[in-house]
Amino acid sequence: MILEDKSFMLFQAIIIPAVFSVVALVLGKRLREKTGLLSTIVLLYSTALIGYVQLKLFLEPGLEAIEASYLWLPDIGGISLGSFTLRADGLSIPIALVIAILCTLISIYSIKYMEHEHALGQYFALYLLYASGMIGTVLVTNLAAFFLFFELMLIPSWALIGVWGTGMKERIAFKYFMFTEAGALSLLAGIVATGFIAKTFEIFKVSQGMIGIDLGIQIAIVVAILLGLFVKMAIFPLHTWLPDAHAEAPTPISALLSPAMIGIGGYASIRIIYTGFPDVVKAQTPQFMLILSVLALITMTYGGYMALAQDDIKRLLAFSSISQMGYMLFGIASVSTIGLVGAVLLYVSHGLGKAILFLVSGVLIHEFKTRSIKELGGLAPKMPYTAIATLIGFLGLMGFPYIIGFWAELYIFTGAMYTALQGFGHIIEPNSIRVLITALAIVASILTASYGLWTVRRVFYGQPTEKTSHAKEGSMMMIIPIMILAALSLILGVYPGLMASSVSRYISELLGSIS
Amino acid sequence: MALVPVVGIETIPAWLCWLFPMIGAFLTPLLAKINPKARDYGAVLFSFLAALMTIMLIPLIFNVEELPKWEILPWIELEGFPVLSKIEFGILVDPLSIIMANVVAVISFLIMVYSLGYMKGESGLTRYWFFMNFFIGNMLLLVMSENFVQTLFGWEGVGLCSYALIGFWYRDAKEDYLKCWVGEPPEAYPPSHCGMKAFITTRIGDISLLIGIVIIVAFTGTLSYMELIEKVEHLPHEFMWILVPAAILLFGGPIGKSAQLPLMEWLPDAMAGPTTVSALIHAATMVKAGVYLVGRVFPIMYVASKFYPEMISFFYVVAWIGVITAFVAGTQAMTSNEIKKVLAYSTVSQLGYMMLALGVAGTTVEFFLGYTAGVFHLMSHAIFKAALFLTAGAVIHAVESRFLHHMGGIKKEMPITFWSMTLTAFSLMGVPVLFSGFWSKDLVLESTLLAGQPIMFTLAAITAAITAFYSVRMLSLTFLGKKSEHIHELEHEGHHIHEAPKVMWVPYFILAVATLAFGIGGITLLPFGGIGGWLEHTFESYLSKLPGMEHSFALLETEVTVPKDMAVLITIGTSLTVLAIGAFIAYKIYVQRAIDPVKLIGSKGILKSLWNFLFRRWYINAFFYKVFVDSTISFSKWALKYIELGGIDKFNYVLANAIKGFSNRFRRTHTGFLNYNIIGMITGFILLLIIVYMVMV
Repeated sequence: MILEDKSFMLFQAIIIPAVFSVVALVLGKRLREKTGLLSTIVLLYSTALIGYVQLKLFLEPGLEAIEASYLWLPDIGGISLGSFTLRADGLSIPIALVIAILCTLISIYSIKYMEHEHALGQYFALYLLYASGMIGTVLVTNLAAFFLFFELMLIPSWALIGVWGTGMKERIAFKYFMFTEAGALSLLAGIVATGFIAKTFEIFKVSQGMIGIDLGIQIAIVVAILLGLFVKMAIFPLHTWLPDAHAEAPTPISALLSPAMIGIGGYASIRIIYTGFPDVVKAQTPQFMLILSVLALITMTYGGYMALAQDDIKRLLAFSSISQMGYMLFGIASVSTIGLVGAVLLYVSHGLGKAILFLVSGVLIHEFKTRSIKELGGLAPKMPYTAIATLIGFLGLMGFPYIIGFWAELYIFTGAMYTALQGFGHIIEPNSIRVLITALAIVASILTASYGLWTVRRVFYGQPTEKTSHAKEGSMMMIIPIMILAALSLILGVYPGLMASSVSRYISELLGSIS
Repeated sequence: MALVPVVGIETIPAWLCWLFPMIGAFLTPLLAKINPKARDYGAVLFSFLAALMTIMLIPLIFNVEELPKWEILPWIELEGFPVLSKIEFGILVDPLSIIMANVVAVISFLIMVYSLGYMKGESGLTRYWFFMNFFIGNMLLLVMSENFVQTLFGWEGVGLCSYALIGFWYRDAKEDYLKCWVGEPPEAYPPSHCGMKAFITTRIGDISLLIGIVIIVAFTGTLSYMELIEKVEHLPHEFMWILVPAAILLFGGPIGKSAQLPLMEWLPDAMAGPTTVSALIHAATMVKAGVYLVGRVFPIMYVASKFYPEMISFFYVVAWIGVITAFVAGTQAMTSNEIKKVLAYSTVSQLGYMMLALGVAGTTVEFFLGYTAGVFHLMSHAIFKAALFLTAGAVIHAVESRFLHHMGGIKKEMPITFWSMTLTAFSLMGVPVLFSGFWSKDLVLESTLLAGQPIMFTLAAITAAITAFYSVRMLSLTFLGKKSEHIHELEHEGHHIHEAPKVMWVPYFILAVATLAFGIGGITLLPFGGIGGWLEHTFESYLSKLPGMEHSFALLETEVTVPKDMAVLITIGTSLTVLAIGAFIAYKIYVQRAIDPVKLIGSKGILKSLWNFLFRRWYINAFFYKVFVDSTISFSKWALKYIELGGIDKFNYVLANAIKGFSNRFRRTHTGFLNYNIIGMITGFILLLIIVYMVMV
């Protein structure tokens, strides 16, 4: 059953932040630091709407999706561009919810972190626009509109890095922009090709339009689309913008870029490839998804190694994000319900965990004005809450039980192993190479444990250094959002069904239709 | 027989026994807000409740016919999954879990009481009590759990507690070198390093365990132990081979957790934690989790080996790793200069015995003999090793140093501690008749012999001699002889050595008495054949009624090499001989001090290099640091420099600069002079005309 969204809930969740972005810009000079409060309230409203939808999907097992369709563009030359459709289903809503929650909490955090910065009105205006762009990208199901929102994510974040960043911020922001834009052009090429060949931009109608089209052409389109999305996801070797951008962005923005934004690439991969191009998923020669698995394995390993070599705490977290995106891609490439659910849960776990860690790094930067791990040390007794939160964050990335990350990794690896041993439907045969790759991927997770625990040790244990000898706990405005995130990841860790049940319902139907 | 979960009132303690300490853990920070005393006693109270609950389970073990009892609650149900669609939360009550739970909970309670005295005045006690109770809860959860996922919760949970408690004194202060560092240069490590080392090393084992579990789930479609036992005989035989690598990978988890080769190096360094932690986590309970897991999956693998004989290689791997570890760790214990490290090596060595017993059990028809030996040794080792650590803690407290050469000559000052340590050390050595260690070790040796494994038997016997040697050495260096310089200094400062307070000595005294009680109860001439005989009977009647076990004995035939009566005699004879040899040499050197060990070894020559080899832990530790730690870090630095920054990122900038350079060159034509512009325009116009002309014609 698909419910029509009569009360414009989804539309509001996207448009209200965008509208208030203008308000924040206009009133910013007068409201000053209260702009942050305004943006928090606005985002809280969006979160409530999305949370309500998630609850509805969780409680009503028969409910497949909530949809809102608006007339948008006329047909051009026989190609129906489709309508502007927003859709909340088991796949999009957990991701949108995580984004909304992160945006709200980080908005609170920003009030304190950015208190001495200039032009707060503009900051929060761009912040709201950025949030709107991210939520829109996830909810919209028309490829043309998807592209517009994709760009709407990029531009405000570029400005946020370029203006409020640190170090060589203009240069870094430019690099970020150019990389993502180059990817976006490839994505655009893929989308336009899809539109011309399938005669529609609606994701859910693409697969029909693709029937009978040569596999080579389909793969070419998918590669074009994935190139764009993989730049966003920072899959090896398209990742080099990420460490720079994450390190030099103002910390609240890092905490949105990394956990919330880059994972959207993974979400879109599932949505576009699995829904639109089932032939590519099933492809036997070449085994497209197997190639993606290898890419994922390289990314997770490479990111882990790079994280081990970092001294700058934000760069370390940035490389860790690359590694985590490798896990997500691994789940996506597993071609199994379990693995895909794992990938979505990984988005959730990485979203919460990495946000905790970036916010913690922000607390450290705020207190000690340094990002170098060497200059930190012995903080545990003086900053107990920060220390606990950091440990929870890293344990989540490691896949420690009691934290949502465990389920994400368990499902990803079980899914991949299941496809390897039992195959998928009658389409993908059991394959010993897949068994090996899955085993290697599990082995790679030792790197996560290594850099995580090593960082905890270097920052929080041992003797205090010159800089940290007079440390005190960070401001509550910053600690409380971190604690809420930590609590969420623990609650979901003990009872992942809250998120996973609606996801699995959607994914199993999606894969059922493919096989 | 078919297995069906039950709901019953008598299994309620099995739920409560792990819930109580968990609740206690989370109440600790709240109680700390009220009053530090309330926090301390509250924590002990919850561990007492856990012990009470497990004791209430004991009556069930006398009704083996009614076991196993297990209950499941729905936990996670996901639609459309081919496997893992239902993960349940359950408890499993069978003889193994009842015995293990009692070992864990009762010893935990005694150690919690001891902690009241030992940890007095330390800062960070809220953290201490939290993790201690969280540990007990997780350990009991692990013991009671009915499926692999739940086991992983407990398994990783105890790992986290171990990490946090090893690094309890995470400040790593140089002043605390004598108190909480471990090792001597070049292998001296501060507590936070040791905690991290323990977590990462065991994590490597857990990775292997996870791969094993994932394969098993993907292959069989279930996580539940009971379902696996039922299912294993119906699995498609042509794919059974996958279970062999899966089982061996699964064993990787126990290798890490129970500190077997090659992942044993974390345990000696885990001694950086408070002694209570060493006693509870790194001797009596957590390190047994690996042995427990092998015991838990034993029936599954055993049934599988009936249908797929190659499966037996799993049991050989377990046995060989066990016996080699027992030998290697035993030799390392001979040279260590720290009291807790001697005990730690000894723990590794004894865990090797347990693995050996479980391993050889799987290769014979009379599997219950080795199985019983493993479990019995687990019990008796838990008791005497916990007591040994607690007495060691009392001594360390008294002399304010962890080094053996800072002790000596304190027998008179600490009589209760001395006698407790002596009795429990005798149990460790396997002094005959009165000590539990004798009976359990004997059973291990006997089952090895009966399994037709002379090489393993010999190695195990040599290890027994080594055990006797290092036990006497440790005992004598700690209490006998003359007082060390260090103690004289302390006395000079006005700090006199005296007996430990009551709250500390009562727990280890109880444990010392318990090891005697188990020893006397273990006498095989008693009805049922003593504790060992009774356990054997219990396990035989319980395990052989599990599905697959009941009718499959005929399928596996091993030739009996030694008749049973002969084996008993050979074993007792051997164990008495090796005990006498090991103890006699140590007695000559360390008690009578007839030979000076320093002079004996000399400064060079073969003995010195042997000593070095043992002291540096067979260079295994150094090897791991070099090969895995240092090389990983230097590889990552290298890759950062040459692949990331020098390769991929550089390529981006090269590309950017190339475009910039091209546009710069091209820009030169844009001079801004009107004349040039007009020339350009005219040229372009003429070119256009030519093109148009050519196209038209």
